[in-house]
Amino acid sequence: MLMLAGAVVGTAIAMLVAVGVSSGARTKTPVVAFVSQGTSNSWAAQLDAVARKTAKRLGVKLLYFNGQGDATKQLPEIQRAIAQRPDAMVLVPLGQAADTGPVERAMAMGIKVILCDSKVNSNNYTSLVNPNPATATVPLAEWLAKKMHYKGNLLYIGGLPGNGTTILYDQGFKKVLKKYPNIHVVNGGNANYSISTAKQLTATAIASGKTFDGTWGVGGEAVTGILQAYVDSNVRPIPPNAGAAATNGSLRLAIENNVQAAMLQFPPADSKVCIETAVKAINGQKVPKSINISALPAYGNLYPPLKRYYKPQYSDDLYVGTDAVLNHSELAAIHLVK
Amino acid sequence: MNDDGLLEELPVTGAQPLRGWHPHHRLGLYALPVLAALVVASLLAVLEPNFYRTANLHVLMQQFAVLGLVTLGQLLVLLVGGIDLSVGAVMNASLIVIALMNQHHDHLAASLAACIALGVAVGLTNGLLVSLRDVPPFAATLGMTACVEGAILVYTKGVPAGNIPSSLRPVALSGVGIVPYSLIICIGIAAALVFVLRRGTFGRKIYAVGRSPEVARRVAISTTGIRVSAYVMCGALAALAGIILSAYVGYVDPKIGGDYNLKSIAAAVLGGVAFTGGEGGAVGALAGVLFLLVLLNVVTLSSLNPFTQLIVQGVVILVALSAFQFIKNRSAV
Repeated sequence: MLMLAGAVVGTAIAMLVAVGVSSGARTKTPVVAFVSQGTSNSWAAQLDAVARKTAKRLGVKLLYFNGQGDATKQLPEIQRAIAQRPDAMVLVPLGQAADTGPVERAMAMGIKVILCDSKVNSNNYTSLVNPNPATATVPLAEWLAKKMHYKGNLLYIGGLPGNGTTILYDQGFKKVLKKYPNIHVVNGGNANYSISTAKQLTATAIASGKTFDGTWGVGGEAVTGILQAYVDSNVRPIPPNAGAAATNGSLRLAIENNVQAAMLQFPPADSKVCIETAVKAINGQKVPKSINISALPAYGNLYPPLKRYYKPQYSDDLYVGTDAVLNHSELAAIHLVK
Repeated sequence: MNDDGLLEELPVTGAQPLRGWHPHHRLGLYALPVLAALVVASLLAVLEPNFYRTANLHVLMQQFAVLGLVTLGQLLVLLVGGIDLSVGAVMNASLIVIALMNQHHDHLAASLAACIALGVAVGLTNGLLVSLRDVPPFAATLGMTACVEGAILVYTKGVPAGNIPSSLRPVALSGVGIVPYSLIICIGIAAALVFVLRRGTFGRKIYAVGRSPEVARRVAISTTGIRVSAYVMCGALAALAGIILSAYVGYVDPKIGGDYNLKSIAAAVLGGVAFTGGEGGAVGALAGVLFLLVLLNVVTLSSLNPFTQLIVQGVVILVALSAFQFIKNRSAV
């Protein structure tokens, strides 16, 4: 009887251990909370589509939180994401200062935090994946200075004053231009990442009668506005242009109008790297504290000839590189196929 | 007889008299922004001769047409004591409608009609919310902005498709001599509005509702009808401005209406239009537009540091508004 009882207990313990071991060994589906910029523009739409596809490919359960393109609306979404206690959180920060607290709280709870495309005011995160415009603009500005033969007027159309990305763009640009005193920078104003404003500012600058030997635009919208203003003003040849970010539309305008142009990438397709990094971190792999997207070959600066990057079958809103991740039907689903 | 004598004409009982409100004072107020614009223009001839280049004047006229149309709409709403923060959203929506209908190979006239209908619908909703539901204009039109922007995002999924039809572009880029067609449209509408506001019964009713809705009601003016029609016209003019701006930019920029909410209000106020309603006119509002655009133009031509540009713009606008208020207060004493 005692032996029987011992056998039953022993079997029960063995079964419990076996169940415990097997459940621990079971490959658990990683859960990643993706707090995106959200429904706001084509860049964000591509960022989201790439993130979703990457998560599916990697077998990740992706919890999506929509920042609605606004830091104040994104903040409660971050709180909701943390409350789900995911294994990792991929955050596209819209408020550098406001998002700092929640990021530190998530880290304290053991959630891996991958910052995608922007920083927060803290070093307490798992990994930062973003382009580095401060360094990536240096070779672009050098390229433009060379095209200008290191002299003449350079029309500058800025981004959004005080914006973190704009500041980084300006750092690299100013660093280079300081070296060439014979290049006179003409400030055309801030386009605030608006094509319409960039076009109006450039049209005014052109109409002033000044001739420009080069143009620089902060943001894809500025570059597009600059080129569109030149096209409509019938001033030929259109001076060489450099700036960011590389969209199919800015490439089209440059190619159609024979403009020598060089562009930095701020690719929404980098959400692929963000999700991959999150999964690596969940799996216990060591991930770099900072991943400079601009240094990766797929996301490097674009130089002439630009025809190799332009995709005529897709709309102007396509960012270079998105079509490397999304197939034709996936691009069509987000209105990127003509 | 213009609207200056409106309250005296109406069989008002128990109305609060408007202190110091005489035709010559009103004339002075209207003339002030025009005079300011002329002084600035004269100074520019000496200080920034490039301003008078044909090409620059052409660019200025193109920009004037767009802001002018939005400001005329904003003027109507401000005159009835309201404010419209949805004009930028209507402009954005117009561009999206044009681009999408162009992609579906719809006729250009159909897409233009759809834009105007959209503007009218937005204005009608704004007007009804403000008039019948007593929703504060600020809140009603801000809410409408969210609705329109949200609808655009839902429909486009954040990615606007299509192109601006090339047949539309001459509206903004071509014209008679250096005068673009868009400016001719703007001036034509402004002239009609000046006539209506100064000579027409409708104009008098607008001023009456803006100055004192209670008094207007007592003299059997439909304050609801007048307010709603002001918002409807504002919506339609914003849609028209959106169409012209789309033609000018020639690119699908979903944020094309960007800062036109604030710019149109600033231009109207610079032109002597009061937030309190019932005060101001089309000529003054357009002078405000001219002043604002000349300022932006000169700041751009000056090649100042972008941060300094903002400071200069802000200081000049504040000085102009302070001077205007000072003269207005003096004339009211």
